[in-house]
Amino acid sequence: MARARSLPPKLSRRTFIQRLTFFGGGVVLLGAAACKRSKEAEAPKPAEPTGTTTAGQALRTFSAFEYAVVAAATERLLPRDEDPGAQDADVALYIDRILETQGLEAMHRDFLQGLSALERRAQRMFQKGFAQATPAQQDELLAIFKDSPAGSGEAHFFELLMTLSLEGFLGDPSYGGNKGRVGWRLMGFDTVGTLAMAPPEGYDGPKCLRECGGHHP
Amino acid sequence: MSLPSVDVCIVGSGAGGAPLALELGRAGFKVVVLEKGRHYQPKDFVHDEILNSRRNFFMPLPWEEPHLVRQGPKARYERSNAAWTANCVGGGTVHMSGFFYRLKPVDFRLRSTLGAVPGTTVADWPISYEELAPFYDKAEAELGVSGQATPHPFAEPRSGPYPLPPLDTHPVASEIDKVCSAMGWHALPTARGIISKAYKGRAPCAYCALCGSYGCETGAKSSTLASLIPNAIATGNVEVRPGSMARSIEVDRQGRAKSVVYLDKDGVTQEQPAKVIIASATAVESARLLLNSTSSRFPNGLANGSGLVGKNLLFSSFGGSRAHFRVSKQKAARPWLTDPAPFVNRSLQDFYLMPDARHGFRKGGTLGFMWAHPNPIYAAVGLAGSGKSGVFGKELKDRMRAYRDSRILEFEVYAEFLPTPGTSVTVEPGVKDKYGIPVAAITLDRHPADFAATRFLVERGEEVLMRLDPDRVERVGTQGETTILQHGTCRFGDDAAASVLDKHCRAHEVPNLYVVDGSFMPSGGSVPSTLTIAANSFRVADHLVRTLKG
Repeated sequence: MARARSLPPKLSRRTFIQRLTFFGGGVVLLGAAACKRSKEAEAPKPAEPTGTTTAGQALRTFSAFEYAVVAAATERLLPRDEDPGAQDADVALYIDRILETQGLEAMHRDFLQGLSALERRAQRMFQKGFAQATPAQQDELLAIFKDSPAGSGEAHFFELLMTLSLEGFLGDPSYGGNKGRVGWRLMGFDTVGTLAMAPPEGYDGPKCLRECGGHHP
Repeated sequence: MSLPSVDVCIVGSGAGGAPLALELGRAGFKVVVLEKGRHYQPKDFVHDEILNSRRNFFMPLPWEEPHLVRQGPKARYERSNAAWTANCVGGGTVHMSGFFYRLKPVDFRLRSTLGAVPGTTVADWPISYEELAPFYDKAEAELGVSGQATPHPFAEPRSGPYPLPPLDTHPVASEIDKVCSAMGWHALPTARGIISKAYKGRAPCAYCALCGSYGCETGAKSSTLASLIPNAIATGNVEVRPGSMARSIEVDRQGRAKSVVYLDKDGVTQEQPAKVIIASATAVESARLLLNSTSSRFPNGLANGSGLVGKNLLFSSFGGSRAHFRVSKQKAARPWLTDPAPFVNRSLQDFYLMPDARHGFRKGGTLGFMWAHPNPIYAAVGLAGSGKSGVFGKELKDRMRAYRDSRILEFEVYAEFLPTPGTSVTVEPGVKDKYGIPVAAITLDRHPADFAATRFLVERGEEVLMRLDPDRVERVGTQGETTILQHGTCRFGDDAAASVLDKHCRAHEVPNLYVVDGSFMPSGGSVPSTLTIAANSFRVADHLVRTLKG
C-alpha cells in the first residue's frame, strides 16, 4: 500500500538505553514521540470541537465522528475480554481531555493528523470508515501503523495512541479515564490509597497539571 | 535595572547549591538563591503518575527546553529531555531515590591507579578521600542518612556510624544476603537519604511504595527541600527566588564576576549583583550557563580561556536485569513474595576495582538491588513495547494480567564512566529554549572499557538473580548511561591549563566564581554522586566562609 499522503517525518528514535528505573519512567514523557520542535507546533485547531459522547459528555478536542474513531481504535488496543477494556475505562474521553493541555499543542495536532490518516487508510483499504470496519480489519490497519518504520508519521501516531491509551487506562481517574479504577485492577496496582497516600478527596489532576506548567512558582 | 547587591548569589538549590546557602547564611552572609523551578510544598507531592512522572512537574518539556543529544561527533543531534534533573527548589534531590553511597579512596586517584588509559582523559582529584571524609560526615548529619556500615573488601573508611539506623527492608534482602554469601560476595545494606526515625523535626519514612521519582509528602526523604533549605531560610540571611532562569553571569572590567542576569517568574529580565557567584545548576546546565556568558574578556565563555568548560562530561554507566517471580506459582514456597515492604536496600561492591584487566576493564562499580518501580503506566508502556516487537489487544492484556501476578526484582549498575575527548557539552546558538537562551548540546563518545565493565557487572548481578530461582530473568541492557548523574564539565585540579576550577572549586580564571554541582568531579565514581556533591559543597562552604571572613 503506497503511502500517498504520509505524515510528516519525525525525529528518529534514540537508540541508547537510558536508566529509567530510578524514576519509574519519569525521564521520558511519551517517549521519543514527544520530542518535537515548538516552532512547528502552530497547532491549527480545525472546527470547534462539537458534539458529545454517547454518554452525553461534551467533547473538547474531537468531533463526534473523530471520537467514534478514537473509541474504536483504543478498544482494539485494550479490548474488553474477561476483564474491562478501553471503553469501560473511558480511555477515549481521557484522550479528548488531555489533548487540551497547554504545552501539548504539537501532540494535539499530530494526533488529529494521525487520526485522519487512519481514517483515510480505512476508507482506501476497506471502503468504509475505521469505526465501521470489523475488529479484524481494525487490527490489520493498526498493525500496519505500528509496524511502520520508526520515525514515520504512522509509527508516531501509533505510539501516541498507545501511550495516551495506557495513560487513560492507568492514570489517576480525575483525568477522565480509568473509570472505576478498572485499569489499576487489571494491573494489580493497589498501591495508591493503601501503600502510598491517595490524592486528597476531590483531587483534580488536570488542574494541577495546568498550574504546574511553565516556570511560575 | 540592577537589584540590590548581596554577598553571594547561587544559581541552583539542589545538592550543590543548598549546602552553601545554608552555611553562608549561618555565617551571616546575605545570599540569594536563583532557582528556575517552583518551590513545591509537601501538599504538592501527590501520587499522580501523569502529573508527577509524565509531564513537566519536574522535568521541562523537550520541545520547550530541549537538550540536544548525539551518539558520536558525526551523528545528528536529537532533541531530548535526557540529562535534566528536577527543576524545582531542591533540584534532583526532590525526586531522587536517595541512594547515598560515598565514593571510595580509589575514586580520588583513578589516574594513578589505572595508569594512562588510551582514549580517555582520566585524572586524579586534587584532594583525597581523607580530605572530603569530614564533610561526608557533615552532609550525612545535616541531610539525614540511614544506613549501616559493613566491612567488605572495598569499604571506605568512616569515622563513625550513620546518623540513623537502616530502614526496614523487605524479606528478599536476606535471601540476597544468603546467595551472595554462598558465592563469597558481600551484600551490603544500601545507605539511603531517607530518615528511618524522627530527625531534626522531620517525621520518619512512612514506607510508602511510591518513593523514587516522586516528591516526599512527609519530608522523610532527605532532599535539600526538606532538610537544608528550610534551615537556610530560617537564618534570615537566605532568600530563595523560585521561577528564576539564569541567562548569563556578567563580568566587570577586571574580569571578576559581578552579577547574574536572569528572567524572573514573570519573564522580566533582572540583574542580581553579588560579591561571589556560585553556579550549581547540574554539570550540563552550569556548563551551558558559563558558555553562554560571553564577553570581550571571555569570548569563549566565562572561565573558559582553557577551552575546558563542557569538556570531560561524565554520566554514570548503566546496565541492569530483572527477575520475574510469578506469585501464583511461587507463593506457597515463598510467602515473602507478597510482602509489601518497599525497600530491598542491598548493594554489591565486590567488583569495584579489578586486580587486572583480563575482562577488558579494571574500574568496575556497584550493583543496587530493588523492586521494580510500581508506576503502572510506566510498566504498561514497557509491556506494550514498540515497533514490530510491540503488541496490542489480547496479547497486551495477557501481559498485563501476567504482570499483576508477578513481582519483579531488579538491579541496576553504576559503573565507571571514563572521560573521553569526545564526550562533552557545548551550546548550540541556533537552537534556543522557550526563554530564548541557546540550549546545551551533548555529544556521547563512550569508551569501550565502560561497556566491558557494565556487561561484567550485569552478568554478576544475573548470577545473583538466577540463584533466587525466578521464573525468568530479563536483561534490560548493558550499554546505557544514567544521565541524571552528571559530572566533569568544569573539572577541578591544581593545573590551570588542565582544569577549570581549583581545589576549592573556584574558577582558575575568575577569582569570585565557584561551581559546586557535579561539574567539578574529574571522575564520577562508581556510585550515585548526590551525597558526594553535597559533601563537597559543605567543603567549599567551609573554605568560602573562612575566605569571606578574611
